[in-house]
Amino acid sequence: MPAEGTIAPEQPETFPQYLLLNARRFADRPAMRHKDYGIWQSWTWAELLEEIRIFSMGLAALGLKRGDKIAIVGQNRPRLYWTFCAVQALGAIPVPVYADSVAEEMVYVLDHAEVVMAIVQDQEQVDKVLSIADQLPALKKVIYDETRGLKDYDHTNLHSIDDVQELGAEELKKSGDEKWLESISKGDGNDLSVILYTSGTTGKPKGVMLSFHNLTVSAINANEFDHLDETESVLAYLPLAWVGDHVFTYAQAYIAGYCVCCPESMETTDADRREIAPTYFFAPPRVFEVLLTAVMVRMEDAGKAKVAMFHYFMDVARKVGEPILNGDSVPFGDRIKYWLGEFLVYGPLKNRMGLTKMKVGYTAGEAIGPEIFRFYRSLGINLKQLYGQTEASVYISAQPDGEIRADTVGRPSPDVEIKIHDNGEVMYRSPGVFLGYYKNDEATGKTKTKDNWVHTGDAGFFDNDGHLKIIDRAKDVGKLDDGSLFAPKYIENKLKFFPNIQEVVAFGDEREFCAVIINIDLTSVGNWAERNNVSYASYQELAAHPRVYEMIAEHVDQVNHDLAGEELMAGSQIRRFLVLHKELDADDGELTRTLKIRRSFIAERYAPLIEALYDGSTEKFVETEVTFEDGRKGSISANVLIRDMPLVPAKKPVLEAAQ
Amino acid sequence: MSPAFLNLIETTLNGLMAGVMYSLVALGFVLIFKASGIFNFAQGVMALFAALTLVGFQTGQVPFAHLINAIFGTDLHHWGPGVPTFLAILMAMAVMVLMAFLIERLVLKHLVNQEPIILFMATIGLAYFLEGMGDLMWGADIKPMNVGLPSGGSFWWEDVTREWASEGSEYYGMYIDTLDVTAALIAIALVSILTIFSQYTATGRALRAVADDHQAALSVGISLRTIWVIVWSIAGFVALVAGIMWGAKSGVQFSLSLIALKALPVLILGGFTSIPGAIVGGLIIGVGEKLAEAYIGPLVGGAIENWFAYMLALAFLLFRPQGLFGERIIERI
Amino acid sequence: MNAPIRPDTQLHTRADDGIATGDDLLVTENISLSFGGVRAIADISFDVKKGEIRAIIGPNGAGKTSMLNVINGFYHPQQGTITFRGNKRRRMRPHEAANQGIARTFQNIALFGGMSTLDNLMTGRITLMKRNMLWHAAWFGPAQREEIEHREAVEQIIDFLEIEHIRKTPVGRLPYGLQKRVELGRALAAEPALLLLDEPMAGMNLEEKEDMSRFILDVNQQYGTTIALIEHDMGVVMDLSDRVVVLDYGRKIGDGTPDEVRNNQDVIDAYLGVPHEDA
Repeated sequence: MPAEGTIAPEQPETFPQYLLLNARRFADRPAMRHKDYGIWQSWTWAELLEEIRIFSMGLAALGLKRGDKIAIVGQNRPRLYWTFCAVQALGAIPVPVYADSVAEEMVYVLDHAEVVMAIVQDQEQVDKVLSIADQLPALKKVIYDETRGLKDYDHTNLHSIDDVQELGAEELKKSGDEKWLESISKGDGNDLSVILYTSGTTGKPKGVMLSFHNLTVSAINANEFDHLDETESVLAYLPLAWVGDHVFTYAQAYIAGYCVCCPESMETTDADRREIAPTYFFAPPRVFEVLLTAVMVRMEDAGKAKVAMFHYFMDVARKVGEPILNGDSVPFGDRIKYWLGEFLVYGPLKNRMGLTKMKVGYTAGEAIGPEIFRFYRSLGINLKQLYGQTEASVYISAQPDGEIRADTVGRPSPDVEIKIHDNGEVMYRSPGVFLGYYKNDEATGKTKTKDNWVHTGDAGFFDNDGHLKIIDRAKDVGKLDDGSLFAPKYIENKLKFFPNIQEVVAFGDEREFCAVIINIDLTSVGNWAERNNVSYASYQELAAHPRVYEMIAEHVDQVNHDLAGEELMAGSQIRRFLVLHKELDADDGELTRTLKIRRSFIAERYAPLIEALYDGSTEKFVETEVTFEDGRKGSISANVLIRDMPLVPAKKPVLEAAQ
Repeated sequence: MSPAFLNLIETTLNGLMAGVMYSLVALGFVLIFKASGIFNFAQGVMALFAALTLVGFQTGQVPFAHLINAIFGTDLHHWGPGVPTFLAILMAMAVMVLMAFLIERLVLKHLVNQEPIILFMATIGLAYFLEGMGDLMWGADIKPMNVGLPSGGSFWWEDVTREWASEGSEYYGMYIDTLDVTAALIAIALVSILTIFSQYTATGRALRAVADDHQAALSVGISLRTIWVIVWSIAGFVALVAGIMWGAKSGVQFSLSLIALKALPVLILGGFTSIPGAIVGGLIIGVGEKLAEAYIGPLVGGAIENWFAYMLALAFLLFRPQGLFGERIIERI
Repeated sequence: MNAPIRPDTQLHTRADDGIATGDDLLVTENISLSFGGVRAIADISFDVKKGEIRAIIGPNGAGKTSMLNVINGFYHPQQGTITFRGNKRRRMRPHEAANQGIARTFQNIALFGGMSTLDNLMTGRITLMKRNMLWHAAWFGPAQREEIEHREAVEQIIDFLEIEHIRKTPVGRLPYGLQKRVELGRALAAEPALLLLDEPMAGMNLEEKEDMSRFILDVNQQYGTTIALIEHDMGVVMDLSDRVVVLDYGRKIGDGTPDEVRNNQDVIDAYLGVPHEDA
């Protein structure tokens, strides 16, 4: 046996150095779990080191050199996570790529990053990479994790991770690991650690270069901020290529030494979360929305007594749940009721969602609906909001415990300075600020000032308590013709709270009034349809159903009432809406891979519909091209109805009685 | 608590205990119905036959004594003092397994793929055959069943409940038969064993598979005939348990076979395919009967126990034809 | 060290029976079958070689499913013999066929609808249980140890067919395409020497068909399972199969590689030339 990590430096600066440290200090603690063949397989930190060492040495034997770029394509599989460290140990740079990007999207990234190897999950990804290999002159090797179906492929430049590890094991036996350890100790905090391509809402993806220093400082601060240590466990289920996943399940995990659990497959994530019950959980608002929708749908199918109990205790929770969580004083009677509710409703509910043991959870990426946010908080789940960016190694601001508001993103994170630019744009400076965009100095110059301040592109302001509030993308905030403020995301989020509404796109900038395009939630509305004997064959048919329009109109009306109550927003009430005949889809480019709407693209694609929203017509025939999952294209056509909404007279702000 | 309320509790408890007995018989029906789609009319007679056999072994009766005596002019009654109870139970069980085997061999095998009604008729024939066979083998007289189960009122319970009555009221405590309590405990154990068997063992899984789809079961290599022998053996086992309980309560006699008819309303209530349904159905019928007898009976002149169960089942059919736990009949338009 | 199980290690086809790849695994000779006066199959002979994918095609009512039913023992032919793994026979009961290593799926899906995916697959291994049914009435001791072994094998299949997420779901609640996949899984669980697939892609959309084709090819390549399948989609048949036998009105009218069959005049007349609904 070779000596383990004998020359790890006292203060690690790179992740491979942390690996050596963890293999000593947490040798027998679990580092990683993966549900495979129905059982949770696990690796301790010591075992993780063994695996990564032979993997890494195998890669070296295949010719991976310092400074090389290597693509990682796939879902959250343990061996793909090992790749990061195995590659970094050799001084090479991992470039994770979204697993569901189609071949054309992938070409750009792999070519731009000049990757020499691609480590991919399975046959599907191998096929994808091989299909574009001739456009990638730098690419020399493709390495895969799952062997299924690949037996008969030409293995000249194709290897399984098993083979690579075997190669590494031989190398280790033959000449020991001194060279490998030496290569790790050469690693410096200022070295380039990873390149993360952002799926920008406009233009080609940009490769954000982060140094080890960027990531480690951010991770150390974050772990301290939320008191995270080696006893945490997290579920790795978000795209590897997303900075959030990279920081939460790689950087922070290596630094704190906590356990990362990989689900069995994307479809089993909910069940796996229930089994793992992570202590630290991160999810974009959408995940919380989906979880809540699932609960609501189940409740609608439940017996009357159960529903009554659920609503009663949810009312209790709404009243006292948050104060209890925040440590405020609450009457004794309410405490008893809440305690009873915990036993009867909240406990089982949290168990169902796999959030029983959650110490702290974050939502970020987009604004979360305040009602959804409060729902989770009131159950006693310490859900918080943070504001971050790839360019900042995630953390810009976060909510400290006890200072949680639904509508802010908290105070500046440790070591982060924030200022508001004259045009209302939020800017920040921190140790996490990225090195620059890979091979794109022009974009770097536009985003990062000489003295390291970064433009976020978001409009926001500090409230009286020193909390940052984000209104919208700076370039998206506009004005209606009459001069009233128009913040599309603000309106969209209000509508998206309704479980029946999946996605909303609001229009109104430099127009006469505000109008919206709505996507219904197929699960929720489908369920409603089943209960109400509304028959439908497709999304399209359901979306056009008069009773669905009726239901959505009620939701819109309620939002208008809400808006009417707010001084700044009363002018931008929704005057017309339509329910779109197809679901907005990342495959059609309507959503980003992280499922944010691409506003300008949608505006262009559905120009006739938007025109119809403003020319007074009550219906419009459109034909839309769609891309199927396998890449084929087709088109669907529909007659989309447009509905007028009455406006609500703006209320004068009323002084609300003691809150 | 007032004596009136305590009486209500007592009636309910006794109803529950009686219900357990119904459940036991209904359970046998459900098992066979689930696995083979046969409504086994002979289930009640099987309980009788099992009890007769058990008592016969226990007391050392010579099987077919009447027949032998009539033909050979002998005077055989008993061949000895009989075998210990435990052994007698095992032997009776062995006889039930043998019976299951013979039923498969002689009856079911020849009726594969016939209409359910034909199979139902076959079980009616089986019922009469077994009844006659029991008579021929062990004689027609009423026999006491003594397998060492406790019986008689529980004094302890009487004492406990007497304390519950309000001060000064004349209340002598509740009567509860320890035999009924034992029966309930045994029934719970039986159901647990059956549940574990069907959910967690390979054979149980095969049984469920056959119940689900015959053709598919065949294609994966399950031998239907083996399964049938197993199912009928289990039904025989349940019949034996039911026979012991009923026998210990009211003696082993031919009216025992009529409890099969009592099981019918239980099945309608619980659904023909649900084991929990059989249990809950039995309990509801038991409690319903006792309550009706005690509170409605005096108004209509008593004897309500004989028909109440059927009325309840009929009323139930109107609202939930698939039974409490039966698979829901969904009709889509 | 807690060594995780790796795929591709444990699932096999049934016992090495001395038949080499490419040799006859199944030979049917002069099979005739009629129901009452109606003749379903007339004097059909063909063979299935070990390791190949053999397709049986033909218009509706050509006797394809009847042929499959004869092979797995649902029907007993009036004439002819079947030689499977060297054993010649006239008739056999279905559970005996299963015991000899013939597993199948059905055109109209015959799953145990009330049981979970896992239980369905476990039931598929019934012929591989070493002990008899009485033993397996117990849930402790050797019976349980054997249960665990079978569970491991079944987990391999679950992984292989990517049905982890429905492991515990009652199959009756699954969408059609997934049910088909579970049914394939149940047949695979028996580690069959011969896998019979009756229209594995009937009623599927294009994407599901592609998935299913991939699974069938993978099964054949990875485990070396011999497959005989009936399929209507000509594109799929020609892509998947090594050899094709063509039936029409209960007679064999063609036999050979997809190319040979495609150019066979009888076949063209009877089947391919005539526009066919499902083709």
